[in-house]
Formats: sequence, structure tokens, C-alpha cells
Amino acid sequence: MSEKFHEELDTLKEEFLEYGHFARGMLVDAFEALKTGDEDLARSVLARKGELADRSDAFDERLLKLIALYQPMAQDLRAILCTLRMNASLYRIGRYGKDIALLVPHFAGAGHLGRMLNLPHMAGIVVSMVDDVLRAYGAGDISPIKDLSARDDCVDDLRYSVFREALTYMMEDPQHIERGMDYVMVARYLERCGDHCCAMGEKVHFMLTGERIEIK
Amino acid sequence: MKEHDAIITVNHLNLHYGEHHALKEIEVGFARHKVTALIGPSGCGKSTLLRCLNRMNDLVENVRIEGEVRFEGTDIYAPEVDVVEIRKQIGMVFQRPNPFPKSIYENVAYGPRVHGVRDRSTLDAVVEKSLRDAALWDEVKDRLDAPAFSLSGGQQQRLCIARTLAVEPEVVLMDEPCSALDPIATAKIEALIEELKTRYTVIIVTHNMQQAARASDYTGFMYLGELVEFGDTPQVFEAPREELTERYITGRFG
Ligand SMILES: Nc1ncnc2c1ncn2[C@@H]1O[C@H](COP(=O)(O)OP(=O)(O)OP(=O)(O)O)[C@@H](O)[C@H]1O
Ligand SMILES: [Mg+2]
Repeated sequence: MSEKFHEELDTLKEEFLEYGHFARGMLVDAFEALKTGDEDLARSVLARKGELADRSDAFDERLLKLIALYQPMAQDLRAILCTLRMNASLYRIGRYGKDIALLVPHFAGAGHLGRMLNLPHMAGIVVSMVDDVLRAYGAGDISPIKDLSARDDCVDDLRYSVFREALTYMMEDPQHIERGMDYVMVARYLERCGDHCCAMGEKVHFMLTGERIEIK
Repeated sequence: MKEHDAIITVNHLNLHYGEHHALKEIEVGFARHKVTALIGPSGCGKSTLLRCLNRMNDLVENVRIEGEVRFEGTDIYAPEVDVVEIRKQIGMVFQRPNPFPKSIYENVAYGPRVHGVRDRSTLDAVVEKSLRDAALWDEVKDRLDAPAFSLSGGQQQRLCIARTLAVEPEVVLMDEPCSALDPIATAKIEALIEELKTRYTVIIVTHNMQQAARASDYTGFMYLGELVEFGDTPQVFEAPREELTERYITGRFG
């Protein structure tokens, strides 16, 4: 295989890591906007939607081209497979950021219901999962993703707590229903992001070790 | 690998060309009715190993072979073994199509004739069956008396395969059978290999990694006369166990 291929693959992986941080940024900013009712920040997240999609498509294209031109094998093929799958997951994660940003106007004027401690906790864990998957991918080291499954279990439990908490507010007052439903939605989005992290973790593990594992 | 139903097993095989130690302690089993690919850089000993399996190296001067090659349990290097019979059971197809300067028909009928078949209708049947098995029949059935050299390269290679199949071997050895062929002819040979393995055991040497990955069930990677890694083809190409294999198949060699 030509040196050119390995150079291209290395460059692509670097740029892809940067894309991962871009998608992560959409989720983090959307959640921040939700927490603080910051409609400007929410709009900035929504404005990134097009770039998220375009960059994802461009990576798919480049990866497919590498396969077609060089027919890579072994660790190279695994890196391409991993990147393709992560590309889909990171795109989804960015999109969930957009979905959360869309809910921000419901809170901009009206504020939050009660204290809602579980949701930020949940978001914190999910973002840590994204970070560690990206770290493992970038550094070629599986240690940051060793406990993904435990963190994902935590996220699943928190989703249920959020649901119960939101239900309590909604039963108190029908005025709370829209925002209560929003919390349930956001928890579902975050839980899906956690699942994507597990799927990405599996691929990173395969890329780095050649061994297929199931996370969760 | 030896736990598989192996038709050929190789034990402690060492081969020297004069001073040059070309095969080192080869241990391997070739599974019945499967396709096994041998890969590795030029000069690593692939062809040498392949030729050991039907005693083609006997013809080389100054060669010294130690160890065992067992075909259906019998050591083919034992003194009482009939080499002609071994080569009938274990046929070989070479890199460059090498038909005889005779008609298509005579090329295929040659082997059976050598082995004593005289009856014309029996020969006709063998020729047709072998050409069908080599996926060439439809292309040549109307011109069996035409010279073999009138065929295209890919057709000539399939003719050579038909010639090998005509003596009803158990094992077909192929040394880079597609390297002189275009992609279409290559695809035909690969499809043919897939067909053949229902009735024959195929062992193929190839420099084309994608071909090995596509066409084989097992892959062995050789380096400097050693069999470095042997395993299921998907495993070898997806996640090789040995660093050396990894470097070779990803082109990080040298
Ligand atoms: N007849 C011979 N006499 C002396 N040395 C030989 C002979 N045939 C092969 N060799 C040497 O043995 C080694 C293995 O050769 P072999 O032909 O088996 O390699 P190979 O893996 O088939 O290579 P290639 O991919 O180039 O066909 C090489 O170093 C070669 O030079
Ligand atoms: Mg050779």
C-alpha cells in the first residue's frame, strides 16, 4: 500500500476528530442554552445544522474513495470502518443537539420547573462519554472507554428518574405539561446519544484491537 | 489448523536449495474441499512450498527436502510412492497459461491418454466434462480442433485448468493463476475456484491480497521461508494476529 494512502488516512482521522468536537459542541451548547434559556445560543446551534451534514457527507465520500482506490486491509480497513460508523453516530449526536436547541424557546420566558437536577447530571455523563470515545480514537488507546458500559447504565437509570420527576410536575399543574414533556424528550435524546457512544466505543475497540466486543 | 479435516498435512518441512534455506519448519494442514491462499512477499517461498506438495521440486538440482508431506495420510516422499500418481492426484496450474501446441481437444485429452484411456467416447466425455468444470465449454465447444494458442489468455488459463481437472485430481495447486489475466478473466477464474471447491481442494498462491481475501477460506502468510501466520481468511485480513502479517497486508513493509 502506498505511503500516500497512509498519509491521507492519517490526515482524515485528524480532521475527523475535529469534526467530532464540532458535533459534541452542538450538543453541549444546546444543553447550555436549554439550561439558561439562552435563545441566541440555541439559534447558533441551529445554524450549524447544515455544516454538520455537509461535513459528514464529505467524510463518507472520502472514506469510500479510500476504500475504492486502495482496498485497505487489517488495521487500515478497521480504521475506515470505525470512522464511517462514528461519522453516522456523531452526525446523530449533533442532530440531537439541534433537537434540544429547538425546545429552548419554551423555557426562555417561562423558566424551569423545580430544580431538575437529574437532567444536567445526565448530560454531563453523556458528554464525558463523547469526550472519551474521541480521546480513545485520537490517541489510539482503549483505556478511556473501558467503563462506557457502566456510564451508559447510569444514563439509562437517570432517564427514568427524569421521567418520574417530570411526571410529578405535570400532575401538579397542566401548565407544566409542555415543559415536562420537553424534559422527557431531552432525556430520551441524551439516552440515545449514550447509545451512540457505546456503538462508537465498540468500533473504536475493534479498530484498535481487532476484537469485536459488545458494550452494554 | 491440523484439527480440520486436512487432505494434506505438512510436518517439519525444511527445504534447502544448495545453501539457501528456503522453507523453514513448515507445519500446516490444508482443509479438504476448501480454498487455501498463500501470500507473502516475493521470494518468501510460496511457490517452493506449493511445489513441495506434488513433488515438483524433485526436478530441481541441489535441492534437499526434509520433513513430511502427507496426502490422505501417506507420506508422498516415501520411497515406494509413485510420483506420477501423486501428480495425478495433486494437479498444478501455473502463472502463465502454458497449453501444449496442440488442439484444444488434445490439450485436455492428453492427461487421460497418458494414464491409459484410449476409448474415443470416454475421452470425448472427459474432455467435455473437464471443459465444463473449467467454465470454458460454451466458449470452445464448436472449435475443439482449433489450436489452443488461438484462445485468449484467460481462455488458455481455463484450458490449463481443464487439462488439470481431466485426470480427476483431488487437489488443485495454482501458482498465481491470474497474474497474467485481465480483470474479467480474473473474475471468471475466481468464480471457477469457488465452483471447484465443492469437489476439489484448492491451494492458490497469489500476490493479490484482495483476491486472497475474496477467493479463499484460509490464508497463510509466509515470510523468509517461514509460515508466519495461518488462519481463517476473514481473521487474517481483518485482524491478523502477527505484527508482521499486519505490516505486510497494510503495506507498511520495508
Ligand atoms: N530452483 C531454485 N534454485 C535455487 N534457489 C531457488 C530456486 N527456486 C527458488 N529459489 C529461491 O528460494 C526462495 C523462494 O523462492 P520461491 O520461488 O518459492 O518464492 P515465491 O514466494 O514464490 O516468490 P514470488 O512471489 O516472487 O513467486 C527465493 O529466495 C528463491 O530465490
Ligand atoms: Mg512464486
